[in-house]
Amino acid sequence: MKQYIIRRSSYSLLSLFLLSLTIFFFVRVTGDPATLLVEPGASAADIAAIHQRFGLDKPLWTQYGLFVWSLFQGDLGQSFYYQTPVFELYLDRLPNSLLLAFVAMSLSLLIGIPAGIMASVQVGRFWDGFGKLFTLLGQSLPSFLVGLVLILVFSVYLGWLPSSGAGTPLHLIMPAFALGWYFAASHMRLTRSSMLEVLGSEYIKLARLKGLPQSMIIAKHAFKNALIPVLTLAGINVVVMVNVAVVVETVFAWPGIGRLLYEGITFRDFPIVQGVVIMGGGMIVIVNLVIDILYAIIDPRIRLES
Amino acid sequence: MNSEQQSGGGAGPAGNRPGFTRRDLVALSALGLVAGAPGLARAAAPQGQLIWGAHVSLAPTWFDPAETSGIITPFMVLYALHDALVKPMPGQALAPSLAQSWSAAEDGLSYEFVLRKGAKFHNGEPVTAEDVKFSFERYRGASHELMKSRIAAIETPDPEHVRFRLKEPWPDFLTFYSSATGAGWIVPRKYVERVGDDGFKKAPIGAGPYKFVSFTPGVELTLEAFDGYWRKIPAVKRLVFKSIPDGSTRLAALKGGEVDVIYWVSGELAEELQRSTGLTLKVSHTAPFWVYFPEQWDPKSPWHDLRVRQAASLAIDRKNINKAITFGYSRLTGNSFVPPSFDFYWQPPEPAHDIGRAKQLLAEAGHPNGFDAGPYYCDAAFSGVAEAIVNSLRDAGIRANLRPIERAAFFKGYSEKKFKGLIQGASAAFGNAATRLEAFAVKGGSYAYGNHPDIDELFQKQAIEQDQQRRAALLHKIQQLVHERVIAAPIWQLAALSGVGPRVGESTFGLIPGYPWTSPYEDITLSGG
Repeated sequence: MKQYIIRRSSYSLLSLFLLSLTIFFFVRVTGDPATLLVEPGASAADIAAIHQRFGLDKPLWTQYGLFVWSLFQGDLGQSFYYQTPVFELYLDRLPNSLLLAFVAMSLSLLIGIPAGIMASVQVGRFWDGFGKLFTLLGQSLPSFLVGLVLILVFSVYLGWLPSSGAGTPLHLIMPAFALGWYFAASHMRLTRSSMLEVLGSEYIKLARLKGLPQSMIIAKHAFKNALIPVLTLAGINVVVMVNVAVVVETVFAWPGIGRLLYEGITFRDFPIVQGVVIMGGGMIVIVNLVIDILYAIIDPRIRLES
Repeated sequence: MNSEQQSGGGAGPAGNRPGFTRRDLVALSALGLVAGAPGLARAAAPQGQLIWGAHVSLAPTWFDPAETSGIITPFMVLYALHDALVKPMPGQALAPSLAQSWSAAEDGLSYEFVLRKGAKFHNGEPVTAEDVKFSFERYRGASHELMKSRIAAIETPDPEHVRFRLKEPWPDFLTFYSSATGAGWIVPRKYVERVGDDGFKKAPIGAGPYKFVSFTPGVELTLEAFDGYWRKIPAVKRLVFKSIPDGSTRLAALKGGEVDVIYWVSGELAEELQRSTGLTLKVSHTAPFWVYFPEQWDPKSPWHDLRVRQAASLAIDRKNINKAITFGYSRLTGNSFVPPSFDFYWQPPEPAHDIGRAKQLLAEAGHPNGFDAGPYYCDAAFSGVAEAIVNSLRDAGIRANLRPIERAAFFKGYSEKKFKGLIQGASAAFGNAATRLEAFAVKGGSYAYGNHPDIDELFQKQAIEQDQQRRAALLHKIQQLVHERVIAAPIWQLAALSGVGPRVGESTFGLIPGYPWTSPYEDITLSGG
């Protein structure tokens, strides 16, 4: 077991190392941030001064070494644009992203699970067709379009909800729905397939033979077992939601981590992009590591096969 | 020190200043004194709140004038929080602000500023000569090396007088000090020394019409009227700046009454804004755009022939492109590099669109069937304009291929002189005709692919010319030569479109020439106020 944990941890560290290397060099491929901080026509001296100030005049490998060294010290660097530590900016935005992810996830489960159950018990009929259409729309409509349509209807025409910003529960409704719909569709799809699998199992057949009512079979026997993969997916999706709500947060001017990443990309603020990606990647790597270890504890075959 | 030869003062309507005389000095001083007269201060207490929907994320670096990087955006905050000795104001390219007057020595080797009595910072401390000296010395933004290399010493004989001694005459000193950089914006020395640079960015104190209340990086900035502001007490009590990056969301927020002012409305949304009851579309003019011919100095290139460049300029259908992309609001000045708001601007004849004449010129130049003009490089953000121009050129037989490039890579390639064919250039940097021409049309300029010795000679002459009228004549001549030789074909001075909601009375858009944001903030009013 000890060897297994060491090996899995090494893989995780290797993943983080590769991630740091990839993001460090990829952001630099996008161009020189100094050119976005001055007007065209700025003197070479001004551009050189910006390079020197941000350490961009050093060789790339030196910059990478400093970046990794700072990471080991828990320092994500200083934002070029905000002149503020990235970790501070990240922590400022994290509660907003967590709140949005939590509400969006709740909405997606509230919509996705009942719709998945309905679709699974009415295969080939109206609710199944409706569910498929819902899935198709949720996963194929771009979130910026969903966001803008919501703003147009609920802010501009009806005037019920604020179009942007944060601060009140009303501000949360549209971004949470726009973000949650995509995931609602995937939760519905998984619920449907999981339910169909469970409904076809021997113990459900036995329950039916024993004459249990359909509602009890679904609610008490099928749903509980079908829920396990859905909840596992939901847990992972929360982490994904926190880190990938770039478009939704930008459209609704929601002050979360996604928008921070958008700002970092827009201003070519390397430390912000690196910091957000490393934190997001770190979360996913840690979650996966914990899950792997838990699986190995629960099922010894996994660690023995590894 | 001699006060007979005065510098600064008001620009004419076209920003075309003939020079400085005793009368100018009297007028300048009078303006400063009048502006500062307590009797003119607004009697009513500030009231209400207005909310801005900004297109960019607000950064704490904008709270500190020392960090001004050379882009115009931070001035949207500087004009509220801080004040400068001299700064662009409505109707005046260089208006007396914290300095009630200034004078230049006859030999051009020193400038003396007299500080305004009663001007104070938000913490109640008076603005002194030591603050001015400190602010300049800590300035590390755009052109700081250039400025510091030319200043021999800063003297503060008493708290109300500051003297800048130059190493050699520099006619553009005031342009750089008061408009092209943030060096002339004053911060309180004692406070900055006490809290440090980081502390200052977290809780800035300035001498501007609004004081800092709170800030969430990238999200929201709240300011409150400063009742001790020397010029007037602002009419609106509270200003809130919210960052709303998406253009459609900004317009929705304005339509829904969530914000009162929005910046940077794209052409397609401007039409919707104009249709909306109670909303007003505001226009201010920013960067001149042009088509540059980087191969014009290569005798083997078709662009070497003046007639070909003239044909390209004649082929551009500016009026229709303007109508299609900026609803006709962009300004067709005909001056490629210099905007009308700049000092020493020269007005060329109105640019013409004549496809027949363009074809005739091409035929005379040996291209009766047109020619393949190679790539047309542009900043990808303005590829819509570029596409329209490429189509215009094609109508005359000039076949160019559009090459939109991401902004940073575009300006890097432009400045490193890597491009061939055609380049669509633009610049919104502050300055005057001399600073603009130096970058784009003179030998050694960051974006000049070649040079003309006679233009370089005229440029050198103007750089040491102390007489403003003679200097203006030299700079006019250079612009005329740039125009006649079609070093670049002018496109337009871009219209920056903004939106204003019904709660706003005076928005101040367009009052400061060449400045795309609302300012001066103390002049903003609520409707009916």
